[in-house]
Amino acid sequence: MANTDKSGKSKKRLAAAKELNRVVTEHYMACARAKSEGKPVGWMPPMNGAIEIFYALDLQPLFPENWSPVCAAFGLAPRNFEVAESLGYSRDLCGYLRNIIGYVHGPMMEESTPLGPLPEPDILVSPGGGCVPVMKIFHALERRFPDARVFKADLPQVAVEDIREHHIEYAISEISRLIKFLTETTGRKMDYDRLKEVVRLSDQACALWDEIMTYRRHVPTPFSAAEIGIMFVMVTLQGTQTAVDFLTSVRDEVKHRTEAGIGVIGDEKIRLFWDNIPLWYNMGLFNYFENLGGVFVAETYSAAWSLRLDADRPIEALAIKSLMSYPLVSCVSVKKRVEKVVDACRAYAIDGAVLHRNKSCAPITLGQMDIKRALERELGIPSVIIDADHMDARNFSAAQFQARVDPFMELLLERKGTR
Amino acid sequence: MAPIGIEPFIKGLNSHGRRLKTLSQSGKRVLGYFCAYTPIELIHAVGFLPVRIMGGRGTISAADLVSPAFICPYMRRALEKGLRHEYDFLSGVIQGYTCDVTCGATKIWEQNIGGELFHTIPLPYNDNPDARRFFRASIQELIDKMQVIGGRFREESFEESLTLYRDIRELALELYRMRYDWRMPLTASQFLTVVLAGFVTPPEEYRSLIFELLSEIREASSSDIGDSVPVLVSGSLVEEPAILDLLEDSGGKVVADDLCTGLRNFQPPSGEGGDAIERLIDRYINRMPCPSRSRATDRAPLLLQLIERSRARGAVFLFQKFCTPHLADHPLLVTELKKRGIPSVMIEMDETGINEGRLRTRLEAFFEMLRA
Repeated sequence: MANTDKSGKSKKRLAAAKELNRVVTEHYMACARAKSEGKPVGWMPPMNGAIEIFYALDLQPLFPENWSPVCAAFGLAPRNFEVAESLGYSRDLCGYLRNIIGYVHGPMMEESTPLGPLPEPDILVSPGGGCVPVMKIFHALERRFPDARVFKADLPQVAVEDIREHHIEYAISEISRLIKFLTETTGRKMDYDRLKEVVRLSDQACALWDEIMTYRRHVPTPFSAAEIGIMFVMVTLQGTQTAVDFLTSVRDEVKHRTEAGIGVIGDEKIRLFWDNIPLWYNMGLFNYFENLGGVFVAETYSAAWSLRLDADRPIEALAIKSLMSYPLVSCVSVKKRVEKVVDACRAYAIDGAVLHRNKSCAPITLGQMDIKRALERELGIPSVIIDADHMDARNFSAAQFQARVDPFMELLLERKGTR
Repeated sequence: MAPIGIEPFIKGLNSHGRRLKTLSQSGKRVLGYFCAYTPIELIHAVGFLPVRIMGGRGTISAADLVSPAFICPYMRRALEKGLRHEYDFLSGVIQGYTCDVTCGATKIWEQNIGGELFHTIPLPYNDNPDARRFFRASIQELIDKMQVIGGRFREESFEESLTLYRDIRELALELYRMRYDWRMPLTASQFLTVVLAGFVTPPEEYRSLIFELLSEIREASSSDIGDSVPVLVSGSLVEEPAILDLLEDSGGKVVADDLCTGLRNFQPPSGEGGDAIERLIDRYINRMPCPSRSRATDRAPLLLQLIERSRARGAVFLFQKFCTPHLADHPLLVTELKKRGIPSVMIEMDETGINEGRLRTRLEAFFEMLRA
């Protein structure tokens, strides 16, 4: 059966996985003690320039969107869903939304949870732009935490290839407005040399990220999507030395594995691409393919961090980052995303693609069929669609999964003549 | 109830595909849009005809190959019709940014159905001088793109377009005032037909039609809704008149709405500002909000105002299935209405139409409870 292990955890091969556990724990401990250290805590969406501003001002950023995978991994999501649904939130809504709304109205107050409870926000960076569920999460958080100071952010939704000067100008004005809001709210002053340093660290993390991903082009690939948890530092610690140090150690390990020819499994027969968010409650699913000789060597989400930041022009760099990150992985930029996936599948010598049709994420799922056709048309790469959900295990059927994946893997093995 | 002449609207709606095809063959550029946040005045001003893309009831097969099943049935049906060449008369799609699904569907349309011009206007979420400056630059970008495919922007024609659409909205708002005062002789489904026809009829013609309708209706006296329970209908895009017939046959009377195919399309009729572009910007920034671009806490007072103005005693939420913006706002709205003693019921619509028997039972029970 497809991962029947109740923990749903994946088998990790990188030594960095242990280090990652420490980094995750330390991040949430830092969030928990921030207030006692006099650091205001701000809750915000990821994939924009607010994180670097927070670190530059020595404020504590916290990401509900990251907390949800943590809840899924620890098996806390079902209880959160129950609370959200009892408040009237439909099961058709995104699992991140139901999880975090459930959490802040229930478990956050009721019981001690691993790595929790989260500290209440002093500041909310409430987005206009990004996906609708995230916007609605923050509207609900504004109501739940009425004492928090709210920054109503705005970001143009433009396909990456359509970004023009006026979009950048507006994003710059928004970043500047955020700095003004935070300095006025917290009484802190922005040290622009410090901001440059933070942006430089952020850029370094991106460069390391790209380098790490590049090693996966080698056959056998040194690590698989089962280790994609390393992106934790890109989500929560971009702009810190911690992220750079962690990614450096990952890079060193991955480089060593590549040079030594150490793969994920003994005999890497099939190289796979994963589209859409993983099943956070069942990361072990990636290992299922390994039993059939398949390894995931690339995935869509990695593209979100594949950009560079000019530290000499920090505000503009953060504006451009904010404009690009989300469109790169969503339906805001279908054309660009298709291109990037096709390029990646070519560069990573992919044999087949697994497309997660994600009930919890319409913006990433929309455009997926265009990816499917482009892979077939341009590279002759076949795909399989699996219906699931990145948060809600109730929308995943192991039997249906196997019924689709097994014949797909057989087909791929046959095509490669390695059956 | 006296029969009112809504035949031109029914006819306009039923024959719009054929008619728009002929128009486009005669050289008129027709541009599609999904959301009522699209500044249609501007499209009209450059000499094109803006037309709202309809979904309607029906089966889905081709759209399954380009989209998942868990997006709104409206968008799946719209894609289906596009893929089946029912929208070949469109030269492209212009969208004012609203929700994830319309964003994705516009891109999918471009990739799979094609056309000359595809453009999404990233409307700002805030209102401040920077946001308005950005909006203005975005408007200019759209004008430039439309000029590339043969549009011609002139200040005077823009003023005319603004006036034309303002007139239409003001006439429609007069219909709404009659509705609030319980003087509306049209049924809710007839009312919807009148609104829907406006999305696919050339505006010069529609202005005359709605003007004539209003003259006729003013004379038809009807200030009584009998035993029916006055209700507000709130929700997403509603294209199916049958659902409103069912609602009114089950004992309700729609006296106000907060629909995308309703009041949200008309309110306010125009904006204020020093020049024409500023007036356009002002209208779209101050538009009666869709949940995809606003907070539920800002919408709740508007619903309560409508309820008070129309003396509605309950609310019926009518949602496209899987509509995230509406589903996400729903819990707060229900709570706020309940605090004011306004009960509500929620109905989700899919592309196959309505399960009449079950729905009737639910609605009858709801209205019964309101009467008690």
